[in-house]
Formats: sequence, structure tokens, C-alpha cells
Amino acid sequence: MKNNPDAIIIGAGVIGVSTALELTSAGLKVLILDRGSVASGTTSAGEGNILVSDKEPGPELDLALRSRNAWFELDEAIGGGFELEAKCGVVVARTELGVGKLRRLTTAQRQHGITAHDICSDELHELEPNLSPSIEYGTYYPQDAQCQPMLATARMLSSIKNRGGEFISGATVTGILVQGGRVSGVVTNRGRFSAPVVINAAGTWAGPIAELAGSYLPIAPRRGFILVSVPTRPLIFHKVYDADYVANVASNNSDLQTSAVVEGTKSGTILIGASRERVGFRTGIDFTVLRILAQQAIELFPILSDIQLLRAYRGFRPYAPDHLPVIGEDPGIRGLWHNAGHEGAGIGLAPGSAQLLSDGILGKSSFMSSDAFSPSRFTAELAK
Amino acid sequence: MIINHQILVLGGGPAGLNAAKYAANAGADVGLIDSGVRLGGQYWRHTGDISVDHAMHHNFDQGSLLIDAVLTNPQIKVYLECQIWSVSIVNDSIVLRSLFQIFQTQKLIIATGAYDRSIPFPGWDIPGVITAGAAQALLKGSGVIAGKNIVVAGTGPFLLPVAAGISRHGGNIVGVLEAAYKTSWVKGITTLIRSPFKIVEGFGYIKTLRKNKVELRFGHAVTAAHAGADGLLESVTVANIDRNFNVKSTYSLKCDVAAISWGFTPDTSIAGALDVRQRVNHDGSVIIEVDDDQRAIQSNALIEIYAAGESTGIGGSELALAEGAIAGLAAAHDPGISNQLRKLRRRAQKFAHTLSKVYPVASGWQSWLTSETLICRCEEVTYQTVREAAEELGAIDARGAKLMTRCGMGMCQGRICGRSISDLFDGNQVDRIQFASRPIITPITLGELAQEGLL
Amino acid sequence: MITFTFNGVELFAISGQSVSAALLTNNERITRYTRINNSPRGLFCGIGVCFDCLLIIDGKPNQRGCITMVQSGMTVEIQK
Repeated sequence: MKNNPDAIIIGAGVIGVSTALELTSAGLKVLILDRGSVASGTTSAGEGNILVSDKEPGPELDLALRSRNAWFELDEAIGGGFELEAKCGVVVARTELGVGKLRRLTTAQRQHGITAHDICSDELHELEPNLSPSIEYGTYYPQDAQCQPMLATARMLSSIKNRGGEFISGATVTGILVQGGRVSGVVTNRGRFSAPVVINAAGTWAGPIAELAGSYLPIAPRRGFILVSVPTRPLIFHKVYDADYVANVASNNSDLQTSAVVEGTKSGTILIGASRERVGFRTGIDFTVLRILAQQAIELFPILSDIQLLRAYRGFRPYAPDHLPVIGEDPGIRGLWHNAGHEGAGIGLAPGSAQLLSDGILGKSSFMSSDAFSPSRFTAELAK
Repeated sequence: MIINHQILVLGGGPAGLNAAKYAANAGADVGLIDSGVRLGGQYWRHTGDISVDHAMHHNFDQGSLLIDAVLTNPQIKVYLECQIWSVSIVNDSIVLRSLFQIFQTQKLIIATGAYDRSIPFPGWDIPGVITAGAAQALLKGSGVIAGKNIVVAGTGPFLLPVAAGISRHGGNIVGVLEAAYKTSWVKGITTLIRSPFKIVEGFGYIKTLRKNKVELRFGHAVTAAHAGADGLLESVTVANIDRNFNVKSTYSLKCDVAAISWGFTPDTSIAGALDVRQRVNHDGSVIIEVDDDQRAIQSNALIEIYAAGESTGIGGSELALAEGAIAGLAAAHDPGISNQLRKLRRRAQKFAHTLSKVYPVASGWQSWLTSETLICRCEEVTYQTVREAAEELGAIDARGAKLMTRCGMGMCQGRICGRSISDLFDGNQVDRIQFASRPIITPITLGELAQEGLL
Repeated sequence: MITFTFNGVELFAISGQSVSAALLTNNERITRYTRINNSPRGLFCGIGVCFDCLLIIDGKPNQRGCITMVQSGMTVEIQK
């Protein structure tokens, strides 16, 4: 690198690259490092969800709503090419208890700016003709959207490169340089790089990166599987999932939680997510999990019973104990910023998180307070 | 229903048959699983009609003897038409799932063989362009000649028996085009001399072709295929190529079938799911790494996985038989693996290695591609799209290209295009191995997956 | 000899043949049209690996003609 960058971003996933794009737009010169290539971690292992429907009122919902709109602005700004689609969500409830919970959630969400139409049988089956006839209640979320995260990240990265930013793949960070409580650069297998600002956007692997600087982030992997069908004629037209999914996302149980999220894609395949398990970085495929996902998907859409499964893949979502992302400056090391721990919502939350972090670095006021996401919330835990 | 066997052998070709036979003779209780309707694999594929089969194969005696030995052995239970869709390790046992059965064992012998290697070229998706293996399977398995005017092309010793077989049974071969240069045979001649059987076999094919006035050209390849108004293959462009596969001159050849193969690709689909160590062979294919007893390397001490035949590297039937025998004996914990057997294997390995040097696939094939040429047949991804992923989106490997363009993501799960995409990116070991891993080996319906009792 | 139908037309086949072999014998080379470009496809690898010879067999889509044995009375259709 001829000139020292203004900021080094560790991780070329959707979070790191959208942060770098935000900083580039603000006039900073960025250097992005990744031990793999662009979007080679969790970013490429998800469905590309940009959801507001699955969030309970609170700071994460505010962040999700801003991000959702920012995705559409970004689509305009960089000329598209990442399959952004206002796919819309349909959340269904199958039990009386579920209906009650869903109606309470939508009432609260509407007060926070979410468009959520409570719908009944006829409307529901008009939206999704193949939905099980036994399902009578649901909510329609027109703001839920979707993109192809790999392409989105790659397109953002090429926009950054066009504006003078740099990316080095295959660069594993082995050390973070700190002098007098201030970060000064990083050490990698590809050399040493100096910058006054270092951003930890290493996702599921953000904990070990924080450790390199002598800091602490309790981010751990939560394993998820996704089933992919063979291409079919269009059968499912929105993102459809059971209201129980919201409870699963927020669950603190380490056991397996599954709640099928079913959707058709432009390529003709049907995707079925999403399991959540805390089993570390366990490799291999657990066929019990796949079976449960298939069962739940068929309960929603009986027609899927005859559709063939083609592939299954796995990803590790980065989660923090309180399920909120970590966005902000390290409490102990000046100039070290974290943007990680977005769990299964990283694609959806990326542009908002990037904006929040960038505003923080530049000392500007932002669209919302980042207090709830502050890395300092773990300091008390560390003291124990 | 859960079926237990001391040893399970997956694949009923030469390696799997011999593994089952040797393990059973050593006293083990063996289950032999194959997806086909008859044993024999691709090599000894047959119709089941004895008179036809002996006419189709120049040397079917060895195969039918071995198949009979396996079928009549009370220690071996054979499961045919049994397509395994997934394999995993559950509670320190190896579990294999087919649609109707679940198999459980502590010892698995992988003998899943190989399939024809294809490389993309303009028009390779036109109906009528097939692999040499497809032409062979039609002839040996169904007694059908693939077309009226057939070109056989590509590289490797397999082209000769395919062309000779078709010719002998009345098919019209309009040309056999071997990409390797005739002079390159000299490189391997010392080893070839040590395997007189192979020499005799090869001369037999050439004699058949000569007798039927079939032209055999070295240093030539099919570099494009062209469809007629009906969308079917009408002609191919034949190129005189240099040793790097660059085109020197071309001519057109009319045909309704072009049977083209560039050697073989080992089928190691299940190795990834079992966390078995794989590596990239000298020819760029992904193979299962094995020790001197054909034992694969994996971390669970309570199970044993062996591999034999083409899944450990392309080597032909003699090597497959030797590896199968050793794997069978080793899995049965028989101490009597003879030095003679190991010597036989070493000789066959050497022969295979020499052959692969005689028939290299040089990188010049990439110059045959046009921007519209499909790289991935399933998802219809063109060369231009793949190049854009590399140049504009920063894809540096096959995995990146797959996630950005969907190449290798379709129904065949990259079995056909994976190796070529890795070659286009000059992919590293990890990338090639990752691309060859397919935890869902073959599609099953979600309804079947949802059934209880799956493990 | 047995009979099966291809796109509603009755064809002859020999028992024990694959569907692909039976179709070729009857001079039928196209098994499907592709999803994106609507291009014709037929037999390619011949041994169940490439998924190009996909057909609708007895009402089930995505069946590989090369590894399915032809049966008397089978209905086979081009997949689009």
C-alpha cells in the first residue's frame, strides 16, 4: 500500500464491506483484510434475509428498519446487480396461543413504524395458494426483503476499489498493534499495516480478533442448516414462516431450535431454513435437524412433500449473549471498533450497522443511539 | 428398518466386488450395496443376457466369475438398486441411508468408482454430444448403438474399447480422435512393456478399428459441436491441436453422436460427509487418501473406513481389483495380505501413473471456449459470466464463482463442471476438495426426508 | 418386446433396457428443455451423474432416463 489507510477493516463479509463502503463514501481511505476471499464466511451461508418481521420492538428493530431502507438506497447508488427484491413476508400462526402472540407482536411493531397487515384465511391463501388449508391466521409484512448477499458484498467491494479502497485476500490477522491504549495497526501473514482506526468485522470469529488486542467479545457460533430443493415451477411466493420463529431467534436455549422459513427463489429452488444450535464449530451434517426442517416445511406447505431436496448447507451465525449486535468502539482500546455479532440478521442489519459505526468513528450524530449495541456492555461480565 | 453388517462395501464394480469377496472369505459378514440393477459397475456393466454379454465384452469371463463368486457367497448379502443418498457418523457408527433402508456398520469400504471427465466446449450441451462412457453404457448395458455416425474423441485408453465395441457391433465410427500425440506413447513404453496384457488388449482394439476401416487420428480433438435446425447434433469441428491443446487447424465432420471423454473423475461425494481426508491427485482430481492397507484417514477411532479402486485415484480395473482385495482383507482384520498382492498393486499403480502422463489434459482447452459457451450445464452459466465474476466481482476460486454465478450449484452438484471451474481458477487443494463434497449424494423428496426413524 | 408411451405416443422397447436406450432406439434424442434458455437436452453421461437426461416418468419429474429401466406401460414425457 502506497499510502497508509485511514482505517483497516478486518473481515470482507457483508458487515466489514458495508462498513468500508460507508467510510469510503465519507472520504476515508480503507484497507480491507480477509483470511479468505470476499464473503467467504457466514455471509455466503445464509438466505439473504432483510427482515423486519422477526424483530420485537427495541433497538434492533429500529436498526432493521433503517437498514432495510438503506439497502434500497444502496441498490440505486451502486447500480444494483445483487438481486434485491421486496419479497414481502408472510408470518403464520397455527395455534390459538400463536395467534394471540402474533397479534400482540404486530400491534407493538406497528407502533414502531412497521407495516404489518393482520390477515385471515382467504387473504392468506390468496397470497400463498399452496399453504396448508388448516392455517387460518397470519400477518403480511410488505417491508420484508431479500438480496443475494454474496453478490451484494462483491458489488460493494468493487465500488470501494473503484474509489481507491484496497482489499487483500488471504491475509490472516495475527496481531493488533496497540500503543498507549490506542490502536496503531495490524500484523498479518501478508505484512504489517498501520492505521489509526481498526475495525473488527470478523463475524463469528470476532472474539479471537478482539483477544489479539487484549480485549474481550463474547461472540460464539450458532449453527444453522438450510435445505435447498431442486428447481421447481413457482410454488411459494413470499418468505413464509411460523410465528414461533421469532421466539426461537430470541431463545437462550442451547438445544436445537427449528422453525421452518420457506421461500421460493428466482433460480427456481425453494429454500428451507433455519435451525439454530449452539454446538460450537461442529462440522458435518446432522440429519435429525434436516428431517425436522423438512417436516415443518411440509406442515406449512404439504405440496413440498413431493419436491426433491438437492442440497443442504451450513453456516455459523455469530451471536452475543443478549442477541444484539456489537457496534461501537472498544471500551479499553481507542481506535479499535467492533461491528460484529449480528447472528442470523447480518445481511438485513449490515447497511444500518455500517452507518452507525461510521458515524461513531467520524463523531457525527446518527439516525439512532448505538448505546444498546455498545461493546462496553460486556465489561461488567468480564469483571466477574 | 436398520440393517447391520460387520463390513459394508459401497459400490459393486471391480474394487467393491473383490473387497466383498476377500472380506467374506476371511470370515466377515459383508453387505455389498450398489445403485445399479446388476453387479459389475461401469467396467463390467452387462445386460444380464449371457450370450449378449460375452459378445459385448472382450473379456467378460473374469467379471462374470467374480460376480458369481460374490452372489453365491453366503457371507455376502447384496443390495441392488439401492441408491444411498446420505452418509454420516451417528453415535460412533457409520450410517448409510437409502430410500428404503438404513445401513449401520463400523467398517465401510468406499468403492464408488469414477465417471467420465468432461471439459466444456462450444456446443457440448447439444443433444447427441455424450460421454464415451455413455456410449459404452448404452452398448454394454442395453445393447444399443448410440447413433448412426459416431465420432469418438477426447483422450485416454478408454476411447479405443468404446470405438472398437461400437464398430464390432455394426456401428459406424466416422473417426476416433485422440488428443495425445502418437510419439508421446514412447514416454510410457517401458511400463507398457511390463504389462503385456494391456498391450495385447490395445492391439486388439486397433485391429478391430483397422479391419472396419475406422480412422484413428492422434493430436486431434473436437473443439465445437453444431446443431441442425432440429436442435440435434449435425456436425463437429475437429481441430489439429498442439501439445498444449491450442488449435492449429480445423475441419468439419458430420455426425449425429460425438462421444467425448477426457479420462475419468473419481466419485468421492461421500468422503466429505464422513470427514475422510482427501487430496488432489497429480491430474487435478480429488481422491481419498489411503494408507498401505487402503485405510482412509479420519478422526473417529471407533470406526474404520477404507477406499479402493478409482476413488483413490484413476488406475483401471487391475489396480481396482488389487486395492479391493487388500481393503477387504484389511477390513476383515486378516493378517494375510500377501506381499504378492501389494506388489501387484504397486505395478498397477505405476502403470496407471504412466498412462496418465501419456494422456495429459493440457490447459489449452480454455482457448476453445467462447463467451457463450456453457461452463455449468445445469444452471446454464456461460464462460462470460464466470469471467465477469472473476474480473469484476473478485471471485478468486471455484467456491466464489459458484456462489456468485450459480455455476456448479445445479442438479449434478458440480460433478460435471466442478473440475473445469477449479481449472479455470487454477484452484488450490482446499477449493477443489470443498467443491467435490456433496452431503446429499442424490436428490430425495422432502417427504422421504421427513420420515421418522431416519437416524 | 414391451411398450411404453413417450409424450403420449406408444413405442416399443426391450425389457431390461434403460429408458434412455429405449428412446434412442426410437430415434428420440431430446429428453427435456432447459429452465433458463429453453434449450433441448438429451442423454449425456449415461450413468446417472450429470442429471441432463431428466424426464417426467409416470408423472414424477426429474427422473434420470439413463438409470431408470423401461417398464411395460410406463408413461414418459419430455420435461420442460
